[in-house]
Amino acid sequence: MSATHSHPDIDVGVLARYWLGELDAEREAAIERHLFECATCTDALEALAVTAQGIRELVRRGAVLAVVSDAFVKRLCAQGVRLNEYRVPRDGSVNCTVAPDDEVAIARLQAPLGDVQRVDVLLDVTAGVPHQRLEDVPFDPAAGEIVVTPRIARLRALPASTALVRLVAVRAGRDEIIGEYRFHHTPWSELHHGE
Amino acid sequence: MLSASDCADLDDAALARAVAQAPAGEGREAEAELCRRFARRVRLYGLRHLRDSHAAADLAQHVLLTMIESLRAGKIRDPGQIASFVLGTCRMVALDLRRTSARRSRLLETFGGDDEEAPPPQLTLDHDRLRECLERLPENERSVLVMSFYDDQPAAVIARELALSEGNVRVIRHRGLRRLRTCMDPRGAS
Repeated sequence: MSATHSHPDIDVGVLARYWLGELDAEREAAIERHLFECATCTDALEALAVTAQGIRELVRRGAVLAVVSDAFVKRLCAQGVRLNEYRVPRDGSVNCTVAPDDEVAIARLQAPLGDVQRVDVLLDVTAGVPHQRLEDVPFDPAAGEIVVTPRIARLRALPASTALVRLVAVRAGRDEIIGEYRFHHTPWSELHHGE
Repeated sequence: MLSASDCADLDDAALARAVAQAPAGEGREAEAELCRRFARRVRLYGLRHLRDSHAAADLAQHVLLTMIESLRAGKIRDPGQIASFVLGTCRMVALDLRRTSARRSRLLETFGGDDEEAPPPQLTLDHDRLRECLERLPENERSVLVMSFYDDQPAAVIARELALSEGNVRVIRHRGLRRLRTCMDPRGAS
């Protein structure tokens, strides 16, 4: 490898396939031969590895708001991540808090999703207006729930309050409410002030 | 004797020849430069195949030591093929370490212990910036990136979990990575 050495760069999509073990043995070996001779592609792979590590750390700290799958939650649990998990029936409510050692918060919003093409999640709906709208979230219709990981630091900072979350099916550009969920939050310190 | 700046201008093959031809006790600058260049590649190979930062660090140590000892001892017939030699050594050592890593996991499982991952490569990352950039992504891209890279799951697994096709997951992942790269480093992204 020299400063003047040039290769066609490996695309980030191919690097991701390599990193995640999706390539056949022949293609993988060819990529590795290239990586061992190309500083530019090594830089790109290193950037991908660092990003992956960063995502891991953010997820473990409950710092990413995302919609995930039930299987993903099970993987977190299997790896020893301390979960604060609430399953809320359609149009139901739950009393909730965040303990000091909770790492990741999980909200399971149950709803019939069998005939739904697109779902949006409306967070903190006040007077009909959401504070945040998660558009066209991925979901498995057969799962019967949308699984959300809110940012745990934000939940910790909340005063005693009720948050309304709404699931809407979007059909022909119109919202159709398919479920409402009320989270009655009490700060941990208020629940355990005498301890 | 080559200086550090001389070494930086040489390609891998020339550096390997310089190490191989150096009299005993000399060639330290060339050795250091060669190790510096291959350390990242070997470590990344280790992270990819062993999925464990400790094992990847062990791999790098073993392989770099073997590389230098083999060059000094004249065991590498064509130092110009140093990259192939290092890659081949990585494959062999990784096989051994995979067994060691499995044993280590069993020991940790049985007796407990600190298995915190060390930060992998040398680059540093602004986590706040990464979080902001992740939050700017469309929902499906964020979900796919989080679920893929949290524990290195291939498209087939994510597709099954989200009722998407594998091809669709790859397209979403690719778009997400490109968007993330642009957000993280607007100057470097093309």
